[in-house]
Amino acid sequence: MRPLLLSLVALLLTGLQAALLHQAGGGAFTLFLPVALLVHLAITADLVDGAVAAAAIGYVLDVSSGGTKGLLTSLAVAAFLGIRVIRIGVEVQGWAGFAALCGLSAFGLSAGAVALTRLAAPLEVRPSWELLPRIALGALLTMLVAPLLRLGLRRLDGIFGERPSELRP
Amino acid sequence: MLSLLRRYRELILVAVLLLFPLAVFFANAKKPSQHSRVDRAVLTLTAPLEKGVGVVVVGVLEAVDGYVALRGAHRRAAAVGKENQALQLELQLLRHEAAENDRLRRLLAVAEAAPARSYTGARVIGVRAEPSGLQLVTLDKGSDDGLSRGMPVITGDGVLGRVHSTAGGSSDVLLAIDRNSSIAVRVERTRARANVRGLGHPGLARLDHAVRSEDVIEGDLLVTSGTDAIFPAGLPVGRVTRLQRAAHGLFLEGSVILIVDPTRAEEVLVITSGARDRELPSSALAPGRTP
Repeated sequence: MRPLLLSLVALLLTGLQAALLHQAGGGAFTLFLPVALLVHLAITADLVDGAVAAAAIGYVLDVSSGGTKGLLTSLAVAAFLGIRVIRIGVEVQGWAGFAALCGLSAFGLSAGAVALTRLAAPLEVRPSWELLPRIALGALLTMLVAPLLRLGLRRLDGIFGERPSELRP
Repeated sequence: MLSLLRRYRELILVAVLLLFPLAVFFANAKKPSQHSRVDRAVLTLTAPLEKGVGVVVVGVLEAVDGYVALRGAHRRAAAVGKENQALQLELQLLRHEAAENDRLRRLLAVAEAAPARSYTGARVIGVRAEPSGLQLVTLDKGSDDGLSRGMPVITGDGVLGRVHSTAGGSSDVLLAIDRNSSIAVRVERTRARANVRGLGHPGLARLDHAVRSEDVIEGDLLVTSGTDAIFPAGLPVGRVTRLQRAAHGLFLEGSVILIVDPTRAEEVLVITSGARDRELPSSALAPGRTP
């Protein structure tokens, strides 16, 4: 149930992102709103549920980005696992931690996608590392809007009866 | 063996979720991406969402603009009066409409210049420009309006891109700035051939396969050659810049400043038939910006 719900939210965020980017800047900069879902999952969900939901979100990202299938699905699961590993070493609490993880994930996801595409794609369509500043700007902007998304996701959890694990004693 | 599988089933599932899509990606990375039925269903769901969110965002922005303008009118009411403010707002609206009319008139001029072709007018409703993915814009017209994959998409200034995929009421356009976009062009001045390939950056592309011995200089206008079986001949694509003539090698190296800025595209024309009929008179298209 939760993976399906989160894929629908990912779909909603992707649509919102496309409309926002059209209204503000027309694509001059970019955003990665659905990574907030991955961070939220890594904080609140258990391993299997979270990984399945992350894969579902990654699939939505794959379809909406129009690139080769599988890339963002795999990277979304990797980001989910990566954030869980970070949480073992670092206590992540509050909106600032959430925003930092969103920024980090957005950067990691996009830079990872560029790196893997460089490995696999034909020479003439390989993305250049010159895209890194654009990716970094997108990650920074995502970080700035992440607290708002966290608010919405916690409300969603409240509606569907989930309690974020970071609040559990 | 079975007990091992049972013991580590969670880890195995996660590993499969991680590695299977990666294998799918590496297996398909060299082929052009195609949308399956499920993908099209997902895109069909997102298009109305984008339209709806677009309407809401525009509504909110207009409400904020209106609020700010009204506050300003109140402050200045003693000096200039409410009527003046209303006229100012009306003037702004008229300017906005005049600019839109101008863009539409230029599109109409393009359509009238080649009446043998059929066109479909569309509006941009969304942008997908992740650096790691394709550089796409979403149009509010789709397969229900006769659009299909590969159709050229132009603005009053020149080439914007081509239709990448369609859903019922919407379609995605692969922009000329995308890395997967390669447009066959000619130098308008000398008719020398080359290709323009996107770099994934807004506004800038790469000059490909321009033979070193050809007469190409910075500032040359590049127009579609019509030899790629997608774009009709004669549409402006961009202007040559940062040209380098190396001491060795077959080809020139250079960049191209694209005529159409995809971040500003609002109304477009999709050439739905007769794209290869005949060359479009260059007078039909706006001169575009200079580097």
